[in-house]
Amino acid sequence: MSYLDLPISKIHELLVNDKITYQDLIKEALEKAHKYQPTLNLFETIIDNPSFNGLDKSNPLFGIPYVLKDNFSTKGILTTGSSNILKDYVPVYDATVVEKLRNSGAILVGKTALDELALGGTGTNGHNGPVHNPYNLDRQSGGSSGGSVVAVSSGIVPFAIGSDTGDSTRKPAAFNGVVGFKPTWGLISRYGLFPFATSLDHVGIFTRNVLDCAYVFENLAGYDSKDMSSANTIKTQYSKNLDNSLKGKKIGIIKEINDSMSNSLVKDNMSGVISLIKNQGCEVKEFNVDERLLRAILPVYLVISCSEATSNDACLDGIRYGIREEGETYIKSIINTRTKGFSELVKRRFVIGSYCLKAENQEKLFIRAQKVRRLIVDTFNKIFEECDCVIFPASGDVAPLIKGASDDEKLSSKYLIGENHLAIANFGGFPSITIPSGFINEMPIGINITGKCFDDQKVLDIASGIENTLGLKDLVKEVK
Amino acid sequence: MKISKQELNELSNNLLFDMSEKEYETLQEEFEVILEQMDLIGEIENIDDVKPMVFPYLIKGHELREDEVDNILSKEDVLKNAKDTMMDMIKVKKVVG
Repeated sequence: MSYLDLPISKIHELLVNDKITYQDLIKEALEKAHKYQPTLNLFETIIDNPSFNGLDKSNPLFGIPYVLKDNFSTKGILTTGSSNILKDYVPVYDATVVEKLRNSGAILVGKTALDELALGGTGTNGHNGPVHNPYNLDRQSGGSSGGSVVAVSSGIVPFAIGSDTGDSTRKPAAFNGVVGFKPTWGLISRYGLFPFATSLDHVGIFTRNVLDCAYVFENLAGYDSKDMSSANTIKTQYSKNLDNSLKGKKIGIIKEINDSMSNSLVKDNMSGVISLIKNQGCEVKEFNVDERLLRAILPVYLVISCSEATSNDACLDGIRYGIREEGETYIKSIINTRTKGFSELVKRRFVIGSYCLKAENQEKLFIRAQKVRRLIVDTFNKIFEECDCVIFPASGDVAPLIKGASDDEKLSSKYLIGENHLAIANFGGFPSITIPSGFINEMPIGINITGKCFDDQKVLDIASGIENTLGLKDLVKEVK
Repeated sequence: MKISKQELNELSNNLLFDMSEKEYETLQEEFEVILEQMDLIGEIENIDDVKPMVFPYLIKGHELREDEVDNILSKEDVLKNAKDTMMDMIKVKKVVG
């Protein structure tokens, strides 16, 4: 019998009625983790002797095993960022997320692989090679939170923590038939999350249904004085408040984004979802957005994120952090360390950032990107004045093949809109969730629901309503 | 506009790492895409009058605090994280002279 395939509410019921113990759950999670690792390559570390600190048996996360993306600090546990430069790094403190989940009674059983330092979107650029999609092992997990999403979709754990700077939780969720949520910027503390782009980074949550996502979210949300971007808001019981009625909800769709999807079956799926939710009483309104702004999403994202990353990752030099390569001088040692420690993709991103920050380029590139960011965010905030949320396909197609992933990471102007639109929610800090919406050739696809800042409950409500209408939840892909 | 390999080489040197010839070629292609797109952005009306957006929204409640000791790591923990130590100190390569 597999318990970890079940929704958290069911596992919780079994635990409080003493039908199972948390030790049973740990055993099952670890057995699956070890069994699937050679095939899926999703872990940096499997924690064979996990610690348990459950005090409140009424908490739905009590006794629930979970995994954590390996860019969150864990005291005394290897934290690599899937980068060679940090392959031996053992932090001396816990991220706030880790501390909160421990206090909730959740049990950390593994640290998962990512695209190196979260600077990628395929799940193939970690230092230990690609993470595989359980639906088709030749295909990408998506990234950068590749290991975390696969741990949930393959049934190792019912929830996982990722991070999301451009779409790194919400796009992989679509590729793996699970729920991926990033709440409003500032609601979950980022203390202890390796910074990539400070103004865009969010903590992300993977689950197999929206209610489970609400359980995890309410345990993580809250002000943290250790994170200067933390928002001071009232504690909310998102799970108890969850209202899945779609009647009278106003949904926006963006014509230019829907039209840009590369696979016509994705467009058909989206049309199908729209007609189903209309039948449930939703009011759907189509909006037009200036295509120049939508085509600007990728360059704006790259200019801002690479510039911030260049600065954030300057500490990875073998002196303050990371492996240390020898060299005749102090500087030569740093050069040797960074040359050997970073992959080609990461170095390219740093060079882009450095170029954009040069005094002579700053106004034309970095500052201008920040200006366009505002125009894009203002455009969507205006749309949110007329509707409760917008929905779009989460990706233009199913998970791409692993072969050719390096080309997928190379910047091109081929799909400027349809593969980059989820970053709108990072620009604005908007709450944004992806849920499964169907399959194309046995590969899952998803839709994304995005609302205005601090409308997290509304976004979860609508996601829950659509999930209920589509009947697509609790999907697990068994790995043979 | 094409960025020269020499300029890219200077940038990577400033960032304290080396890159191969092939890596520079890929970067040149990527820069062509970025700069072309950023030029198109420049054509958006009145773009230069817009206020840059630094964070998603104005963060409140983080006024400067009193200079009190808070959230400190123990000496043992700090030293545990260091590759090379000597007595109670972290040992690094000679920086001056």
